[in-house]
Amino acid sequence: MRKGNPWLSVLFWVLLSFLTLFPIYWLFVISVKPAIELFSTPSVWLSGDLYWKNYADVLNDRTLRSYMVNSLVISSGNAVLCTTLGFLACYALSRFDLPGKESVFFWTITNRMAPPAVFLLPLFLLMTQVYSIGDFKLADTRIGMILVYCTFNLPFAIWTLRPTLDGIPKELDEAAYVDGASPWNVISEVVFPLARPGLAVTLILTWVFAWNEYLLAATLTNFNARTLTTGLSEYVTTTGTNWGIMAAISVFTLIPALIVFSLVQRHIVAGLTFGAVKG
Amino acid sequence: MQSKFLGWALLAPTLLILALFGVVPFIYVLFVSFHQWNPFGANPDMLFNWAGNYRKLVFDAQFLASLGVTAAFVFFAVLSELVLGYALAQALMRDFPGKAFFRTIHTLPLIMAPIIVGSVWKLMTTPSIGIIPNILSNWLGYDLNIGQSAWQAFATTVIMDIWHWTPLVTLTLIAALVSLPADPFEQAQIDGANRRQIFWHITLPMIRPAILATVFIRMMDAMRTVDEVLMLTGGGPGSATRYVGVHIFKEVFPRTNYGYGSAVSVIVLYLTIVVCWLMYVGLIAPRNKGKG
Amino acid sequence: MDKDRRGFLPIETNWFDRLFISIVLWVALSLFWLRFIEPLGLSIWISVAISVALAIIIVKRG
Repeated sequence: MRKGNPWLSVLFWVLLSFLTLFPIYWLFVISVKPAIELFSTPSVWLSGDLYWKNYADVLNDRTLRSYMVNSLVISSGNAVLCTTLGFLACYALSRFDLPGKESVFFWTITNRMAPPAVFLLPLFLLMTQVYSIGDFKLADTRIGMILVYCTFNLPFAIWTLRPTLDGIPKELDEAAYVDGASPWNVISEVVFPLARPGLAVTLILTWVFAWNEYLLAATLTNFNARTLTTGLSEYVTTTGTNWGIMAAISVFTLIPALIVFSLVQRHIVAGLTFGAVKG
Repeated sequence: MQSKFLGWALLAPTLLILALFGVVPFIYVLFVSFHQWNPFGANPDMLFNWAGNYRKLVFDAQFLASLGVTAAFVFFAVLSELVLGYALAQALMRDFPGKAFFRTIHTLPLIMAPIIVGSVWKLMTTPSIGIIPNILSNWLGYDLNIGQSAWQAFATTVIMDIWHWTPLVTLTLIAALVSLPADPFEQAQIDGANRRQIFWHITLPMIRPAILATVFIRMMDAMRTVDEVLMLTGGGPGSATRYVGVHIFKEVFPRTNYGYGSAVSVIVLYLTIVVCWLMYVGLIAPRNKGKG
Repeated sequence: MDKDRRGFLPIETNWFDRLFISIVLWVALSLFWLRFIEPLGLSIWISVAISVALAIIIVKRG
């Protein structure tokens, strides 16, 4: 709209980027310092030799590698599950004249409102004692964590996908039905391609939320399904925290999220239309 | 249209999962909240004690204080994020070299795990070894000590939240601004409206739904903030940053006072849902209904 | 039964919304009662009775 001096904008954004990036830069600085240096007076600039041993320690740690695999499996599984179910649910909410569907919509969202601490205890008891098939218990399993993460990600998926689906004209479905298509055909061949940007963004954001979750994972897993964020907190101990290793793990945690996120950078604005003006 | 059966069938898996992992745990919490239960205490059995836990709760100064600081935290954090996020979204609507690059950088905090954000900010702000207190005291002679000053600790958590979540607000508002039609703005400029008038009378009403939806989701998330604050301040000093999520976490698990902890959880959930419901019914739903 | 309708409440509601509003009021009144009125010697059951009466009115007429 307005034409200011573009270079002023650039200057502004460069300064802002320093602020935005500083904590991330600092994470890196900590990860390449030996533990002893952390307690001297800090300096903004990196100097001297970089200390890569923290990274080597992390890479050589078998347990952490398995945590990483767990994290990948759980967050990917959860993101796919939430996006798929959210898509189907939003299709139903958007196209069917179901009694009380607005209530259903709102009450689905309320699942995200609970502070996670509220559900820690009951989920722990349910998953260790009640939700089981024979000897198989949900606690400390990947599938269990995938399902638990739905409590906060599925509402989010529904919340972001609803406007996307409302924005796809109903006439398209109706035309397809007139041509004799089955509901499944309509969903997969008419609605799905048009909803793709919204689906991509939902997939990524739910993935990131699941990847970053800590409190539930820390309580509901012991070893088999432990995730990277909980592995990180294991270095915060009563005898002192190994910040260097912790920062190194954090950097490893960031990288997959960074890759995944940069894949959809271009689509993210197109997909994030919750509440946007409908044309 | 088509059969209602199909509609419910499409919703069924979602509702089933949310029932198993949301509703059942809630009913369980509700059940426990009417009992005295401390499995590791002197009397490990569950004892039904009517509204005893709730009676204790309404006089619990620490809990009431945590409600107060949570409200303040949500207010300051979400308001600043909204104002900043809008300003940045507008700034990103202009054309300048490297726009996409700067936008990407600006969204980076979003992908960081709250617990990592909390630990980095802790390392940056710990007195004497943190970089920020050092810079502040060397360059400005300002003394930042989040281990002692209650309001500094509070302000630090707010700033951390702003740093972490403003990008989400910016992204959603860009999405809204991009989808605005150009005609009303051109018309307004022809009519000689100034920038402030255009903002109040055209931009704001048109992106209002997006703003509300963003505030809604940010409020929900700010009210349930735990990891970051637990890591940064542990709820201290005193109870300055003991937000309700942190309060529950510290109350239920270390003390294993499950009955009382459940009562606190129920009330927190109650307050959150009431606030969100009022917002939804009062501000968001009527708008959607009109568009149908 | 499921239809949205307009009673004395300022918004359109279905029976589920009205039940929810009643429960919200019930909890609010109970907490208020426990904090301020019960110490004066009035039993909590009085507030329960008031809430139930209120709930019936809201669900039927709201």
